[in-house]
Amino acid sequence: MSRNWKIERRTFLRGAGALLPLPFLNLMEANARSGDLHSSDPPLRFMTLFKPNGVHPPSWNINGGKENDFRMSPLMQPFAKHKDDLLILDNMGDFGFSSHSNSTRRFLCGHHQNSRSASVDQLIADQVQGDSPHRSLELTTEGLFVNQIGCSYISYDKKGGMIPRESDPQLIFDKLFRNPLSDPAKRAEMTSLLDRVSSDAKTLERKAGVEDGDTLDEYFTALRETELKLEKMGPLDQGLESSKFNRLVRPLAPSNLDEQVNAMLDVIAMALWTDSTRCISYMLGNSNSRMIFDFLGIKKQHHYLSHFFRNFSRENIDSLLKISLWHMEKFDYLLNKLKSYKDHNGRLLDHCVVLYGSGMGHSDNHTAQRLPVVLAGQGGGKLKTGRYLRYSKNQELGRLHLSLLDLFGVEQDSFANAQQPLPGLDGGTFDEFVERPFESWVKVDSGVMTVQGRLRMSDNLDEAKVFYIDVAGRDSIRMEIGFGDFHSRNVAYHVGTPIKLTGKTVEKNGLTILNKITGLESLFGRSNPGKAGG
Amino acid sequence: MPVPSLPERFFPFFFFVIISLLSSCIQSRFVLGFVNRMRFLIVSFFVLIPLFLFAGKFEEEIVPLLKNSCLKCHGGEKTKGKVDFSGILTERAAGDHLDLWETVIEVVELGEMPPEEEKPLSTDERAKIRTWRDEFMRLPIVSSIPVFRPRRLSANEYRNTLGSLFGFDLEVGIARAEQTESGEKSLVLKILPPDPPGQSGFFNDTHSTPLSSSLLESYAYLAGISLDRLFSIQGRDFLARLTRQKDNWNGEITPDLADKVVRSFLPRIFRRPVGEERIESIVKKLKGKKGKALVAALKFELKAALISPEFLYRGFLAEPGGDKGRQAVDPYELAERLSYFLWEDMPDEELYESARNGSLGKKGEVGRQIARMLTDPRARNLSESFGVQLLGLSSIDDQIKNNPIHLHAMRTQPRDFLHYLFTEDRPVMELLDSNVTFVNQSTSGFYGNDRKRLAPFHKPRGVERQRTMNQRLEIKEAEGRGGILTMPSILSMNHGPILRGTWVLRTILGVRLGEPPADVPPIKPVPRGKKMTFRERFEAHRDNVTCARCHEKIDPIGFALDGYDKNGKYLLASHHKRGNQPAIDTSGKLPSGEQFEDFEGLKNILTTTKKEQVIRNLTRKILSYALGRKLGRGDQGVVEEITNKATSENSSWKELLIEVANSPPFREIVYEQEDTK
Repeated sequence: MSRNWKIERRTFLRGAGALLPLPFLNLMEANARSGDLHSSDPPLRFMTLFKPNGVHPPSWNINGGKENDFRMSPLMQPFAKHKDDLLILDNMGDFGFSSHSNSTRRFLCGHHQNSRSASVDQLIADQVQGDSPHRSLELTTEGLFVNQIGCSYISYDKKGGMIPRESDPQLIFDKLFRNPLSDPAKRAEMTSLLDRVSSDAKTLERKAGVEDGDTLDEYFTALRETELKLEKMGPLDQGLESSKFNRLVRPLAPSNLDEQVNAMLDVIAMALWTDSTRCISYMLGNSNSRMIFDFLGIKKQHHYLSHFFRNFSRENIDSLLKISLWHMEKFDYLLNKLKSYKDHNGRLLDHCVVLYGSGMGHSDNHTAQRLPVVLAGQGGGKLKTGRYLRYSKNQELGRLHLSLLDLFGVEQDSFANAQQPLPGLDGGTFDEFVERPFESWVKVDSGVMTVQGRLRMSDNLDEAKVFYIDVAGRDSIRMEIGFGDFHSRNVAYHVGTPIKLTGKTVEKNGLTILNKITGLESLFGRSNPGKAGG
Repeated sequence: MPVPSLPERFFPFFFFVIISLLSSCIQSRFVLGFVNRMRFLIVSFFVLIPLFLFAGKFEEEIVPLLKNSCLKCHGGEKTKGKVDFSGILTERAAGDHLDLWETVIEVVELGEMPPEEEKPLSTDERAKIRTWRDEFMRLPIVSSIPVFRPRRLSANEYRNTLGSLFGFDLEVGIARAEQTESGEKSLVLKILPPDPPGQSGFFNDTHSTPLSSSLLESYAYLAGISLDRLFSIQGRDFLARLTRQKDNWNGEITPDLADKVVRSFLPRIFRRPVGEERIESIVKKLKGKKGKALVAALKFELKAALISPEFLYRGFLAEPGGDKGRQAVDPYELAERLSYFLWEDMPDEELYESARNGSLGKKGEVGRQIARMLTDPRARNLSESFGVQLLGLSSIDDQIKNNPIHLHAMRTQPRDFLHYLFTEDRPVMELLDSNVTFVNQSTSGFYGNDRKRLAPFHKPRGVERQRTMNQRLEIKEAEGRGGILTMPSILSMNHGPILRGTWVLRTILGVRLGEPPADVPPIKPVPRGKKMTFRERFEAHRDNVTCARCHEKIDPIGFALDGYDKNGKYLLASHHKRGNQPAIDTSGKLPSGEQFEDFEGLKNILTTTKKEQVIRNLTRKILSYALGRKLGRGDQGVVEEITNKATSENSSWKELLIEVANSPPFREIVYEQEDTK
């Protein structure tokens, strides 16, 4: 019973916001009367939302922005209105390649080889659980990919073991809010139900013969055991009054993925708001998700589409972007929810840290570089949001995790390969990316072209597999390479950076086109940024 | 337990007499004509004489032996090896454990029991056991039916029943994607603990898994969420249909409608008409309520019914037709037996109506209903549940761990084949020998040129891997295919000749093999400089008498299947025979004397000289599944009768199912109750 006052305090609401679902209004008013405004600080919650299958980098990356002066990229548009509550991180990750299963481990463990440690969410869960009833929730949308089981898990226990995930929003709702063990109203209902059944079955007892009697005895025994169990849980009269969970709305059975995810996000927000748990990880899909988004009118598998270079067509890239936009909309949905709940004297989001992103960047060659990573929420004032942090160098993902551990009060000197936390999240100084001057030029010698300039992917979706090298004072060099070059040279890794590239050319429609790479060097970064599978 | 006094000792005998006379009358009503009845009475007369002479021998000679040498470890407090003689101290009980006696004689004669540290049985005592058992086996079998016990719905039955009651299936909300294992789809099966197989070996035999408190809570939970959904917008259409609401119904539950809901749901929940008194008592509780309070009260009432013993168990409400003792089951009980047998589900409207208007009891109606029921989609459960248990197909799931597409192919192939046999009136023996099979993209490679006749498997662009539906394929050219034994899925489920031989013996021929002894000597390594096949090495192993006892049965069958590799590929197909591969010896000789050159030869033996044995085994299994209990000695007569008929008439599966459903154990019931309570 010691929990009752807690719930009231946590669920306190001064004025119900317009976004609040109706059934909560009365509950809020009831809480407002109970006072307890100036109690201790609200608990901090951690929530992470995992996006499968990386991104199409030109659609995701912010180019040329500054910390406080930037424009959200096309893929970020669905959640652009939350700009002030976001901390967009760039230049996270430092690998040339990432397999799907490595990318899931990396997402919360910092590095795919950090396989003997708990993931960051679990370390936080241990720290912040306090007296919330559920230590953490590990959620997902999709079944297990058994061929490469690692693709299906982002949360790992102390020994690095995969933590089973749950997927059914209704079941999780019931576990949190309709469990007779925790919900006195449910217990009261169950008790009177058993009374009724027991008295009904008495008539059967009169009728039953000897052999039936044994079976009926078995039934009555189970009935009595359940009654005793309920009795042990304490008196019912105290319960009815305090059972505010009863007013939370149980989600309907979802009929498609969109409804399933919305329902889950609803439950997640309720779980955080009611302080049923303070730590949740949720996968929008396995890291190599093969889900078919038929409710978006797409009949091809997500993983196939995500390899937009090798499976290029305009229709495919459109479909891929539609799916990615849907992932972004779900992030937006979650943020809306977290803002709609009042928590203490602010919004629930103020007392949350939400980590959104993926373990891979370029979805075709799986770079673990310029990973999509966004933090949302103020973390109780510890995060200074509304900014875009593009670090000068590629950052170990583990550094972000180390900062998060610090933010939640977990004392740890290192995590994965990282020894230093990521600077700048709290508004402090950080080493911001600055363009370094370099010369750009082109030389052509008997069909072999050497060019120095900035590599970029075409932002024209009709030719999404085409690259350009920008050279000052002339037209960009168009590069139409095959998958072999794209993959073995890890071209995606160098996108956005200055390179020196040598290759063979052909003439096409009066244009000189680079179609075969024979040499590739990075001017400021690594020329050999890792092998496939890393 | 003291040795029964003389009158007690004769009780079983009197009981047999009464039952045999009774059954002769009742059987005659359903099955036998007048001539048969006369024959039966004459036979019964001769039966009585040996019975008279024999009765009591078990109690007199065997029970003291059991008490002295067995009960210490196998009865009362200890039940080592799960063998418990404490409930088998009368001849009647002993008759229900015939397979146990087979084992007893085996271990006693081999000196395995009593164990070394205990006092051994004398030669004389050992002989006594065998003599008793042999004489007992020779006794004519009297058909009898054990007293009926209500049985809790199995998890599958519960799932299906709930689905039929509410018009929707409770499913786990998880997105399904190709190559992904989404786990149990049904929320019911996810929440309920899996049923262990009962004494009969079937999951629907729930007699030995009692209801527990946590199970009751799960039932209450599932009932609760079903009702929540029924009264939500998602259940509106079904509710409207059920209570015949007009198209413009706004979903409001009026007191009138609540009344209707109670009247339509209660009989469906209890699977039989519900007395007006009970309906009234519920309706009364809803009186004066409206809006949300009414819905809450209505849900409460229905939930109470859904966790009541009458719903959760089958048979509590079966109505005795007056006197106690053996009698035909009431029509609603019969309807329920039929529907759970073929569908694993509650009776549908038509079956219910047939019970209500009395036509179900009429001659031929059960057959007609079965023919109809087999065309219903729910008949799929017969192969999915009975078929899977009959052939032990669930072990396919354990074999293939990380290739869901391959697993899907291996799982569905035998199931689709069984469904075809069961529902399309195919001869029983086509189980072993059929020119029809079911293949999809993953399995088509096993079928040589025949696969060219398949409709092309279409894989849309953008789909990297996908499961494909099975297509029915007629086998014309493919070598080494046809029948369940040559299916890749069955062959890859059991690797190696020993497992394959054992599987065929147990599953197809119904031979009871003991477990291998613990001190099995290892198979000797190949002597230096000698080339030996596994078969040759294994034959040396069989020289050991202890091993030979089972292996002379297992090996010939197992090695006949050696022409198939562990994935089920046929190695002896003419296009494979090349180079100097060692020829695979698939010839053999069964202990009963039949010889064969290759698997085709063995198959031929199985479908001719072993046909009766195969059909007897299948009949036993079907009957046991239909009844949801282990068969006893009293069921032998029925098994024999059906076996003989099905063997001589070359029956189809449908006919076999109808025979079982028309047999006395299925259509009759014994009440031994005293209406005193």
